[in-house]
This record gives sequence, structure tokens and C-alpha cells, in this order.
Amino acid sequence: MISVLFFGPVAERIGKSALQVEFHHTMSLQNLRDKLAAQYPQAFEIVCFAAVNGEHARDMTIALTDGSEVAFMAKFSGG
Amino acid sequence: MKAAVRIQQEDFSQDEEISALKACSKRMGGIGTFLGCARDFSEGREVEQISFDAYGSMALSEMQKLRSDAIGKFALLDARIVHRIGTVSGGDNIVFIAAGAEHRVAALEACRWMIDELKQRVPIWKKEITPQGDAWVVPHP
Repeated sequence: MISVLFFGPVAERIGKSALQVEFHHTMSLQNLRDKLAAQYPQAFEIVCFAAVNGEHARDMTIALTDGSEVAFMAKFSGG
Repeated sequence: MKAAVRIQQEDFSQDEEISALKACSKRMGGIGTFLGCARDFSEGREVEQISFDAYGSMALSEMQKLRSDAIGKFALLDARIVHRIGTVSGGDNIVFIAAGAEHRVAALEACRWMIDELKQRVPIWKKEITPQGDAWVVPHP
């Protein structure tokens, strides 16, 4: 399984802060994003960043591994 | 001594943070600080409170990297970053950054760089709670 986390404005639009998605062999970060964006288009309108296992992920083609923790995030507004 | 990089609900003491910074070296000739506070007015409306959400583990890790990067980039003797989460009211402290260097230019430039980078790199979001309703903050340049 892939653990998908949402925070702040994205979590509010989705209505939850975490999801479990079944892992498929050869699943990329982009595949996961596309799958979830189709389910939650309003939330993904504001998604600007992704993280895999707590690290910024700028390459959307990277392959995910079973048990990965992925976050799709809106622009940050801390400070 | 408290950790140099922290995310916490409770308020912090600027004096304690500066004392901890100064304790690392007597070669420190300049300290630049930034204190971010909650405003009670934003985008033409009153703000009653600000609440924060964070990807806690990643935010802390990014802040630790940010401190290390700043120390390397500006040859700092030490640096500290503290960010509050939870809910704060107008006038309350939100974030404190301190950079200590041998001379003032590096300290001031590092401090400015760290708060700018924090806003770009650290997964924290703020929501303004107003009499007209709540709204997530759209980042300012």
C-alpha cells in the first residue's frame, strides 16, 4: 500500500488527511497523482508540490515502492 | 539546552534563543534575527486567529537542512529556527530565526535568506480565522 498524506487547504478540499492506495508494480509518482487528481479534481487544482518519504520530489517519473509515504501539497504559507 | 531547530505549540523566548546562539562561540560579532508575528488585519479584514497545519516530520527535516545550508553558505558560527504551530492570536509570535556570524553582513544576509527559503521549502500552512469565515493564506512573494 501507498500512504498518501494531505495537509492544510488540500486536506480540507479532499475532506481527509490520509488515504491508502493499493500499490501496483511500476507505479510512478505521476501515475498516483493522475489517479487521485481524477478522483479529487478540486483539491488537485491547488497541488503544487509532492514529497516521497518526507523529501521534496521534483521528478514525477520516479517509481514508487510498496510502503511509500507520499504527500501532495499546496503552496506553503508558513513563517 | 533546547534544540536549535524546533516546531512547537508554545511560545518561545527570543532572549533564550539569542543566549543559546551566543553560547556557541565568542567569535560571534554579529547576530541577525527575524521575528514573524501574527497580524490581526489582513487583505482588508480583521483576523481573529491564525491556525497552522504542518507536515511535521518533513517540516522539521527541511528546517534542519535549511539551518545547515545557511551555516555553510554564509559561514555562520550558528543559527536557530523556531516555528510555532497550533493556533495563535494577533500579536503572537509565529517564527524566530537567528543567525550568528563573525560580522554583521553575513548575519543579516543569512537571516533574510533563511526566512525567504523557509517560506519556499517548509511544508507549513496557515489559515486565517475571521468573522467572515476561515481562509487558507495564499503566499505572498
